[in-house]
This record gives sequence, structure tokens and C-alpha cells, in this order.
Amino acid sequence: MKLSCLQENLSRGLGVVGRAVASRTTLPITQNVYLATDQSMLKLSATNLEIAMTTWVGAMVEDEGAITVPARLLSEFVNSLPSERIDIELQPGSGVLQLRCGRTEANINGADAGEFPPIPTVDEGVAASVETATLKEAIARVAFAAATEESRPVLTGVEIKLEGDRFSMAAADGFRLAVHHGSLREPVDSETKVIVPARVLNELNRLLGDQTDPVEIMMTPAKGQVLFRTQGSQTVETVSQLLQGTFPNYEQLIPQSYQTRAVFDLPSLLRATRTAAIFARDGSNIIRMETQPAENGEAPGKVIISARSEEVGDNQDEVEAESLDGVEGKIAFNSRYLLDVLSVLERGRVTIETASSSSPGVFRPTDSEDYIHVVMPMFVQW
Amino acid sequence: MRDHSDDSSGQAGSIDQHIIHADLDAFYAAVEQLDNPELRGKAVLVGGPPESRGVVATASYEAREYGVHSAMPMRTAVRLCPHGIIVRPRFDRYREESRKVMSIFQDLTDLVEPLSLDEAYLDVTDAVEGGNHPISVAIGLKRRVNDETGLTLSVGVGNSKSVAKIASDLQKPDGLVVVPKGREKEFLAPLAVGKLWGIGPKTASRLNADGIDTISELAAQPFEWFQRHFGQRAEEVWARANGRDFRAVHTQRVAKSISAETTFPADVHDSVELADVVTRLSGRVAQQLASKDRQGKTVTLKARLADFTTFTRQITLPFPTGSEATIMEIALMLLSRELGQGRSFRLLGVGVSGFADSGQLELPLVWEGNDTNWLEPET
Repeated sequence: MKLSCLQENLSRGLGVVGRAVASRTTLPITQNVYLATDQSMLKLSATNLEIAMTTWVGAMVEDEGAITVPARLLSEFVNSLPSERIDIELQPGSGVLQLRCGRTEANINGADAGEFPPIPTVDEGVAASVETATLKEAIARVAFAAATEESRPVLTGVEIKLEGDRFSMAAADGFRLAVHHGSLREPVDSETKVIVPARVLNELNRLLGDQTDPVEIMMTPAKGQVLFRTQGSQTVETVSQLLQGTFPNYEQLIPQSYQTRAVFDLPSLLRATRTAAIFARDGSNIIRMETQPAENGEAPGKVIISARSEEVGDNQDEVEAESLDGVEGKIAFNSRYLLDVLSVLERGRVTIETASSSSPGVFRPTDSEDYIHVVMPMFVQW
Repeated sequence: MRDHSDDSSGQAGSIDQHIIHADLDAFYAAVEQLDNPELRGKAVLVGGPPESRGVVATASYEAREYGVHSAMPMRTAVRLCPHGIIVRPRFDRYREESRKVMSIFQDLTDLVEPLSLDEAYLDVTDAVEGGNHPISVAIGLKRRVNDETGLTLSVGVGNSKSVAKIASDLQKPDGLVVVPKGREKEFLAPLAVGKLWGIGPKTASRLNADGIDTISELAAQPFEWFQRHFGQRAEEVWARANGRDFRAVHTQRVAKSISAETTFPADVHDSVELADVVTRLSGRVAQQLASKDRQGKTVTLKARLADFTTFTRQITLPFPTGSEATIMEIALMLLSRELGQGRSFRLLGVGVSGFADSGQLELPLVWEGNDTNWLEPET
């Protein structure tokens, strides 16, 4: 194998696939990165067996070949080099990768490419294409609601459903549920449903950065895999194992009625919630919300947001509602869950529907039907 | 089929309640005799020494024969019973024994209202409704206290606190008096008015002066008469005199569990029917939890088999729950482990305990093939 490429391209490529390198593993070779010539490109792959990432770096290829070398060592070395041309050479049978850049030279002991776990290829199945911004928004609004602990593995995933020209993503950690709907660029032929680890989607979101080209998705539930192909300054393929099992039927968790429905300016509500979270920190993270309709119809009404802790003290804040329909109500939420949902909605206005202090609260952006977030309250002594 | 639900903190009692008044006989003296064999069979006076104006806290029955009673000055007691052995009270020791006895009470029912170290009201309605005769409940209680502590207990059973209390006093020591349902008035009738709770010696002698000696004579008075004589207490005294005292047993502690149970009119072995019952009971428990704003970590299934064997099985979750689905899921799983071998059930109950002041509620997740492998019953 003999080729040359630009330091900055190789560095960027290693940075991308580096996210998939195993950190602790019983299979040491997964701490390596796989390098292979692929037509006029250098192909880089890494996998921790749950996720595999592949990217291609433009190169001048003289002789074909493949090898794996320790990912961290190679990456650190390449990052230390000046932004110049790097010559890479593998003497057949030597197992040592030689790198030369200007007057710097290194020899890195590698392992045979044949020992590297096969990087799954997904070339059949249901293909879809999504605008990057659409996908990023969906992931940001949903993936955080997935479980991080493994007692019910399927809850660590996000259910992705493709149907017609729409897709949905849903995640639930047992205490909250997030569901987002978005558009596909073109309709899919058949309805498909898979569960993708939330970790993988978060990784994908990071990878998407500010690129604008659409993302291709290829699902093969039969093989238990999904592939995301992102274009941009470089092509990256992320292949993930799907989570096996049945995702809970979440539609029936979404309350169909409410006792109190209030619309708030998001930044105001978020600010009051952040303040209360400071006090809630030392008191089981409980934030209490008391909704009070206006007495004589002057203003729509307000919510009193408070937190207290035995040791530290307490605080209270009032936020005027933009509209309030229904009766007064009391409900308490975990401050983290409240901050999570208000933070992803970010701007504009939020509609909050509640029925009782022990029934789920429903959060939606006021300006769209695309997103719904259900949070179970905390029971507290009022 | 009669269903009984309780939140263990019932406010109003009812005409259908079964109340035990349990009173340890000469408690302090009995503990001293228990600890020191030399005192057994002898007149024991527990209290402060006569030279420091002590009074008798408790006298053993051997001393009582000489006319000694509690709260009597020790000097007087010694005069009446010169051979009496004076023992200084050891309250820590009495408290220790009291705790043992109270916990035996609590094994029988959650509804225990201690009045002092040596007496308590127990609401045993559940045990009676569960198929036990009040007499066997009372005998069982007396026997267990005696077996486990060596102390004797006098027990009165009735449908009200005041009837039970009077009954427990009638055959002391080691007494057992059960007042059958509907015979309360008859039971009270011949007794001296002073026996009635709330009528002290002064009131009693005033009533005697008016020609009212027995409870039946008191009960015969018109309500207006009660109002004249007892003012604000009129209704209370009238109710007690007429055997219509339906105050509930008040537990001092907050309810430790919320449960619902069902006794079947005929033993049931059909697993579908049993599962239906558990499902329904779970729903009722969840409803009660919701109405009391409570969440508990421990879900318990109670079962009584055709041969009266009674047992409970429970699972403690990592989080408190009030969710109907979760309670049902666990209770059904516990039930499924107890089915088979042609077992027939007389009674099933579902309960939740291990309450927390605050906690995160769960989403009622429903999916096909709910996995419950992570739930291991406690042994």
C-alpha cells in the first residue's frame, strides 16, 4: 500500500471515525482504525461493534493495500503534523505503517486488516432521505428522553418509523416520552419501524454539525442494521446495530384531555425554571408548579414556580400565562425533566396541559404539531 | 363476596367493626415477676419507696387481694399489705416488653391504637371478616402474647371501643369477654354507670344521687336529659350508654400500607377468576393510593388457602409506585407463582407499603411481552 494525502483531510477523517473506536474492549483490535485504499481514496473505518463509522479521504494511490493501526496513536501523530502532504506506505508483509510528512517520519506497528471485524454494509432495505436540519431537530428533541440505564434495553433506543413521506421518532425512559414527526424528502414504499440506540443518534447529530446536504437512511430490520450516509465535505457512513425487542405502544400514553391548558412565553418560563432548579438541586429536584387562572378575567392567569430544600431555603417565581384555559392546578416535576423539555423547545411559546397532580403533563411547541413531550410528575407533599 | 378496603387510618368507624381492647394484667409487676422468679406468686408493689412519698404504679394480683391498687400512696399500700415486696419501676424494661406486645398486635392488624404501655385498641374487622370467629381471634392473641412474653392479657371484644374496654375489665386477670354483635345494650344494661368510659367517680355519685345506678337506667333517659346533664358531651355519653359508640381505632402512626382484600363465598381455584380478582384489587389499591397521594415501593400479595393457611408474598421495587399497571403486573406475577397443585383460595389481598414522601411517577408503559425478569420475590 502506498499513497499520499493531505494532513488536514486525514486528520479530519480520523477525527470522525475516532468516535466509533472502542474505548474499553475485550477485542483489542477494535481500538484500531482500519485503513484501505478504495479506488482513488483512502478509506477509514472504526467500530466498537455497536456502531461502525466509515469515511473516505481524497488520496493519490500508487499501490493498493489495507492495514489496521492503533487509532489513538495514529490520530495523535497526524494531529501533531503540519498541514502538508503525508506519504503513507506499507511494505507488503511488514505489518508496519510508515508515515512521512516533511522531515517527520514515523513507523507504527499495525495488525492485519483481515483480523478487523467486518464493517457491515447495508445495501438493501428501505431507503429514505431526510434534510439534515430536519433530522438534527428530531434527534435533539427526542434522543435525550431515552433511558440511560440498561434495565429495559429497548428504552435506551429511539423508535424510528418511516411511513409515506413522514417519519417519526419516539423515546421514553419510563418517566417521560418524546415524539417528533418530520418529513422525508421522498415517500418510502413500505412502512418500516426500527429501534436505534440513542447513543448512535447523538453521535450522528454531532457528526452532522452544520452541514446542509441531505442524509440518506437505509434500514434493514431483517439484518438488524441501519445505515446513515451523510454527505458534506466528506462522506461518512454510520452503521448501527438495531435494538431488538418491542417498543412500548406510546400512542396511548399521550393524554387526550386536560383540566388546565396554559400557553407561556418560553424564555420567561425557562428562566423561572432555571432559577427554581438551583433550589431544587438540594431538595430531590422537585419543582412545584401552581397554575392559577385569573380571578376576574383581567389577565389570563399565571403559574407560580417554586422549589424548596430543607437545608438551603426556597424560592418562588411567577410567570404570566399568555392564555390559560381551565381550572387551577398543582403539579410537581423533576427539575431536570422540565429543563430538558423547555430547553429543546428553546424559543417561541410552549403549551402545557395538565389534568391532575399525578397525571402526565403534556408539553408542545405552540406553533407546530410536530412535537409532543409527556412528563410524569413527581408526587410530593404539598 | 364482601370486599374490604382500608387505608389503615380510618376516621369513622362503623356498626360492623370488631374492636379488641387488650390490657396486660398488672403489667409492671408481671414484668418484675417474669424477670425475678423469687417474686412470682408474691405480693409485689412496683413504685417509689414509702419514705419518699412514693405511690404504687402497679401491684401484683397477690397484693391486690389486700386492697392495694394503682396510684395508692406506697405508705398506705405497705400498711394494707405489710409483706409486700417493693420494687422500683424500670420503665426502660417495661417499654421493651411493651414493644414486643404491640408488635404482636400489629401482626394481627395494622389498626392498633396504643393507649399506654400496657393497653391498646385493635380493629380486627379484617381478621373476623376473613373467616375467623372473634373468640378465636382473641384466644389466638392471648396465647401468642403469653407464649412469646410470658405475660397475661385480658381481652374484651365488641363492636365499639367502649364496649370492648368494659369487657376486657370484667374478668381480669387473664380475662376474655366477647360481646356478641347486637347484644351490646343488653351487655351494658346491668353494669354500674361508673364502668362507662367518661363517667368518673364524681359524675357517678351524682348520677347515683339521681337514682341512676346502672347503665340501663342511664340509657333509658331521654336525649334532652343528656343535654342538660352533659352539655357538649351529651351525644358521646348517650351513644356509649346505648352501645352505639362507633369511634374508629386511630393509629398514631401514619398508615404504613394501603390494601384491599376479598374473601370468596366459596373457595376458588380457577386461575382466570383469581387473576381477575387480583386485577380488580390492584385497581382499587391504585385508586386509594392516588386519592391519598401516596406511592410505595413494596407490593404484597396476601393469600389464604382452603385449609386457612395464610401467607404473604412481596416484591420491593427500586422506586415507589402508585401505578395500577405496575401493581397489577407484580401482584399477578406473585399470584402466578402460587397457583397450581390444585390449590384453592379463600381470600386474596393486594397491598402496597413502603411509602415515600416524594418520588418520580412512572409512565404507565404498556407493550407486548412485558418482561418482569428483573423482579425477584423476596423470601
